[in-house]
Parts: sequence; C-alpha cells; structure tokens
Amino acid sequence: MDFQTLKEYLPFLIPLIILENSLSITALVHVLRHPHYRFGSKVMWILIVLFIQIIGPILYFTIGRGEE
Amino acid sequence: MNRYLAFFKKEIIEYIRTYKLLIMLIVFAIFGITNPLIAKLLPEIMKNLATDGFVITLPDPTAYDAWTQFFKNATQMGFIVTLILFSGVLSSEYSKGTLINLLTKGLSRTTVILTKYFSMVLVWTICIILCFILTYGYTVYLFPNDITYNLLFSVFCLWMFGLLLLAILMFSATLTKSSYGCLLITGIIVVFFMIIDIIPSIHKYNPISLVTDNMGLIMNSIKVSSLYLANLISVLLSIISLILSIVVFRKKQL
Repeated sequence: MDFQTLKEYLPFLIPLIILENSLSITALVHVLRHPHYRFGSKVMWILIVLFIQIIGPILYFTIGRGEE
Repeated sequence: MNRYLAFFKKEIIEYIRTYKLLIMLIVFAIFGITNPLIAKLLPEIMKNLATDGFVITLPDPTAYDAWTQFFKNATQMGFIVTLILFSGVLSSEYSKGTLINLLTKGLSRTTVILTKYFSMVLVWTICIILCFILTYGYTVYLFPNDITYNLLFSVFCLWMFGLLLLAILMFSATLTKSSYGCLLITGIIVVFFMIIDIIPSIHKYNPISLVTDNMGLIMNSIKVSSLYLANLISVLLSIISLILSIVVFRKKQL
C-alpha cells in the first residue's frame, strides 16, 4: 500500500486509531491505579489491555476489575 | 415519578463510573467506522492474498456491502458486548447488597426493574444511533451513487430486537443470582428463536426475523409490511418479559 492510498483512507484511520487507543489507555490507567483484580496479575492485565484490541479492555472492565 | 428519576440518575452514574457507557460508545463508534472501511478494502485485501494461479475476484464494493457489515457486526459483536456488559444488571446488586438499603427505605421493586430496563434501553439507543450515523456518513462518502431502500426501518427492526433482548436479559437476571446464569438463559432463549426459525411458516412471527431480514429490506427484496407482525410480537414479548421479571423480583429474597 503506497502513500497515496494511505492518504485516501486517513479520514477513517485517524478516528479509528484515536478510539481504539483511548479504550486501551483508559483501561491501562485503571489497571495501574486499582491494583486489585478478581484474578490474574497486574502484568497479565497490562498485556491483555494493550495487545488485544477492543476485546482486551472489555474483558478487563467486565470480568477482571476488582471491587473497590 | 421522582423516585424513578432519582434511581435513573443513579443507574446512569453507575454506567459512567463503571466505564460501561464509555465502552459501549467506543465499541459502537469503532464498528460504525470500520463497517464501510472493511467493505471498501475487502477486494484490496483479497488481491494481496492472491498468489500465482489463484486469483480471487470480487465485484466492486457497494453501499450494500457496507450495510451487510453493519448488520453483521451489530447483531453479532454488538449484541454480545451489550449483553456481557449488562449481564451484571441485578447480580452485581445482589452480590454487594446495595439494593437492600433502597428497598427498605420504600423504593418499590417495580421501580427498580423498570428503571434499570429503561436506562439499559437508553444506552442501547444512543449506541445504535451513533453506530448508524457513523456508518451512514462514511457510506455516503465512499459510495455516493448507491441507492438503499428502507434503511431507517431496517435499523428500527434491529433496535427493536435489542429491546427484546434487553427485556429477556432483565427477566433472566431476576431468575438467577449470577451474571453468567443470566447470560446463559438469554443465550438459550435466542438459540430457541433461531431453532424455531427453521419452520418457514413461523418466520413471519419470529422476532429473529428482525435481525435476519435487514439486508433484504435494504435491497428491497423483502416487503416492509412482512415485518410488522414480528415487530408487534417483539413488543409483546418484551412487555411480557418485563411483567414476568417484576412478578419474579417481587417474590425474590435478596
């Protein structure tokens, strides 16, 4: 894919990248600030949240997040 | 009315604090953008996959492909994410015992069920509208010349099926104590709808046709009037599930 094609799809890619990253960053901040999880360790959740797009943060917020 | 509003406010604050609202909005926004994009890029991707002597030719993408993606994503991942996020609607309250205080102070159990249902419906409505607007905008931008039919009605059917699913979720949440049990019962009921869909004469009355006939509607191969009954039955089933959940919840020991 050359630069011209990439430029053509920028109006899609920019919002998409912002959205996906905002989801993982919110989850990452939450993982770092609340070190209690229902299961798993901090390192495991950081990896899941950062490297599994979309599903990772959802998993963290639904089943991984501990009670305050 | 005041109690409904107060409890409603509590629910919305809960969705914001537990990041459920944020996740729903972002996931549906991502779907909204990727739907037309995947439709547009699929032939390109296939071209790169082709090797010597093995050529995959796809017709030029149209707006129909974008809408196929929309209905595929919304009915699969969209519903799954929604149900998983909302599966704890009552079980999280049971496990923390947070409802007991409110109920002993005189909040009626009907209020709890109805308000919880309508706050879920509100979130679902906002998300589906967001997803629709994004897909629509980018589809018009990418495929300006394609004509689609009955678009709004088709999305309305999808939304209506969402209402039914949330009502069933509410009912199954009153039956079990855990969120997994709640998901399981909802899943079984949906699978039941799918199985009875095998019988052609039932298809007209089956709510599942609201999410299987969307592309037919958009291509104008299925008449709008053929889905009126399914819509009506979907509304009736939602009301029945809500009434049943109120009845069960009233007798339930917290």
